[in-house]
Amino acid sequence: MLRQIWIVSALNFRSLKSRFWQSMVIVVGLAATVGVMLSMLSVSTGMRQAYYASGDPNRAIVVTKGVEQEPQSSITRAQAPLIAVAPGIAKDKDGKPLADRALMTSVPLLRKDGSKGFTTMRGLSEKGLGVRPEIKIAAGRMFQAGRRELIAGVGAQMMFRHMQIGDKVILPDGEWPIVGIYKTGDQLEGQLLGDTETLVTALHKPVYTTMLVRLASPASLDTFKKALTVNPALSVDVVRHSDWYKRVGDQNTFALALLGYVVGTVMAIGALFGCLNTMYSAVSNRGREIATLRALGYGAFPVAVSVILEAMLLSITGALIGAAIAWALYDGKLDLFGNVVFHLSVSPAQIELGVIWAAAVAMVGGLFPSIRAAKRPVVEALRAV
Amino acid sequence: MKYFPLVWASIMRKPTRAILTLLSVMLAFTLFGLTIGMNATFAKVKEDARDDRMFVFARFGSAVPIALERQIESMPGVERVASSSVIGGYIQDPKNRTFVVMMDENIPKVFPEYPITPQQWQLIHNDRQGVLVSQMQAERWHLKVGDTVVIVSPAVKKLDGSNSWTFKVAAVTPDMAIFGQGYMFGNYDYMDKARVLSDQGKTGQFRVKVREASKTPEITEQIINRYANSSTPLDSITEKVAFDVSTGTGMDIASVDRDVALAGMFMVLFLTANGLAQAVRERFAEFATLKTIGFSDNGVIALVFAEAALPCVLGAGLGIGLAAVISNVMPHFLPPGQGLPIPTMTVMVFVWAFLSAALVAFMSAGLPALRLKQMDIATALSGR
Repeated sequence: MLRQIWIVSALNFRSLKSRFWQSMVIVVGLAATVGVMLSMLSVSTGMRQAYYASGDPNRAIVVTKGVEQEPQSSITRAQAPLIAVAPGIAKDKDGKPLADRALMTSVPLLRKDGSKGFTTMRGLSEKGLGVRPEIKIAAGRMFQAGRRELIAGVGAQMMFRHMQIGDKVILPDGEWPIVGIYKTGDQLEGQLLGDTETLVTALHKPVYTTMLVRLASPASLDTFKKALTVNPALSVDVVRHSDWYKRVGDQNTFALALLGYVVGTVMAIGALFGCLNTMYSAVSNRGREIATLRALGYGAFPVAVSVILEAMLLSITGALIGAAIAWALYDGKLDLFGNVVFHLSVSPAQIELGVIWAAAVAMVGGLFPSIRAAKRPVVEALRAV
Repeated sequence: MKYFPLVWASIMRKPTRAILTLLSVMLAFTLFGLTIGMNATFAKVKEDARDDRMFVFARFGSAVPIALERQIESMPGVERVASSSVIGGYIQDPKNRTFVVMMDENIPKVFPEYPITPQQWQLIHNDRQGVLVSQMQAERWHLKVGDTVVIVSPAVKKLDGSNSWTFKVAAVTPDMAIFGQGYMFGNYDYMDKARVLSDQGKTGQFRVKVREASKTPEITEQIINRYANSSTPLDSITEKVAFDVSTGTGMDIASVDRDVALAGMFMVLFLTANGLAQAVRERFAEFATLKTIGFSDNGVIALVFAEAALPCVLGAGLGIGLAAVISNVMPHFLPPGQGLPIPTMTVMVFVWAFLSAALVAFMSAGLPALRLKQMDIATALSGR
């Protein structure tokens, strides 16, 4: 049986050359479908990855009860110390809890093309680096607590003007110099960092935004959470940092991903009709060969399978071409959406998705023609020649 | 027109092929309709936006004191200032996200184009808890006039410690292009008086109407300079810029849309060109017969073009129709609060679709036409 499938398929593939342009309909159709879908998904995937990478299972974020995005949260100055002394937080060498009072605000900046854009400015308190060890200075130096200076992420530096060391950012109390450039490998790279308390004064903000703590161990989340939720002075949600960013990432990229899939589906259905078209005419062109094989004793099943295999070969080739184009054009490219700086991504998982998409199209697009090929009475087919 | 039966017969020679081609073309044009229709929505929003109106907001993302409203209004060249704040939250379940824009009494004067009558504005003025709900939002949350709706807003706290904001539906009003997911308008006074003390007297942003659009840049600069050293430095952006989709997202979505539509067209071009070339090859002898009985070169080519154009134009029409249907039902299937811009099938979308269809047909007919022109009738008739 397998041998028969192999022989029939080999025969088909060898005759592909004579049906080159017609077969290209499937290849081009799937290349366009998968290329477009993966290009669109590169935005949502890249953005989601940037969010996911920002989370850490060893950290917990404390936000106002019920809020869904960090900027909506507010932690008062009275609440912050209560949170910092709760059990479950890892301690620094000096015995102090690794808790960071974070402040977030958006700053208007000029994009590289001169248009107006915004990014997030984040305040780190004295234990900030202990909580977020992923912040590495790539050039210049760290800002000093109490001084009006900032450090800029490598992403921000690439997306916005005036982000070099020595450049100044206008804040309410004057110009703050950028003294360093940092890397984190996540979404924080698109932001600016400064000292929380100095920013609080400059921005006249009476409250912090969130608290981020390093947990003593991933399992101590429950202890920490319980301590905070039973405290009547606090009305907060405690979420594992990785879970928080997973939710925020999914939520903020949902519409974009949906758009990609809708476009991908519509195009795939269009390509499917093209595939059906090509395979039907391939089957009818090869009526004589198929009938001859059947007369020689080949079964209907190998003939049917060979038709599907041919459709598969063509559409997966197309999908790989499309994926390769999307990958070459977009993978790794730095981009900005809203105020999130991230790298576009055409990951192996996305390419796999494209191939699955193509295989599905080929399956359906090959199935009906294959049934026709297999069912056609041998005698009639031979007579028609 | 009298050749229509001939063209029709040629197409229907292979009904499966004809139908599959038509469906394929239709799908590509559905995509075309959705993407170019989305661009039409962006264009409409931008067109409705005005150069003589701007947003004025806190430069570093906090609330602005409402007292500045009168100060800005007294600046030379400024006609009127209104303010709006947003209560963002959800209805019952955090998944049901929505928002209410809390408007002050000047909003109707700054936005005379809103499809809301003075009587309707008066309703929320008389009853501070009143809310104007757009058709789309009313359908989504099953609201009618007189209903009570509670918005839970984690970010906006009330004086009594809760964050549930109760509204009464005062009227259901028509939708607007700029609020793609519909809107709800409430009364700013309700929000201000019920809020925690530290937040009272503050608003989200000002909407400034200037007397002459040409003076907008100057006035913007004056406003920014005047408050640069205050406790709330301000920033400003004109409606035209703010409502440009690339401003909000930093991405040129319109050109992405065009590229997607183009990819679809490329797919269709390949498909029709191939199908047509095949059909002409199969019926080569028949075309020779047509020429023999007196059809001119151009006559035959016109027939081939018509054979390509018919499925393209028909497919374009059906595709845009399907896109229109999808655009109409789309809002009902999206999870609330997760906005995708809803495409609009404007006349321009139809025009572009038909032009593209004609171009695809024209390009598909190119090569076969050349072959027919150069054919040697005797050879073709002999079937060699």
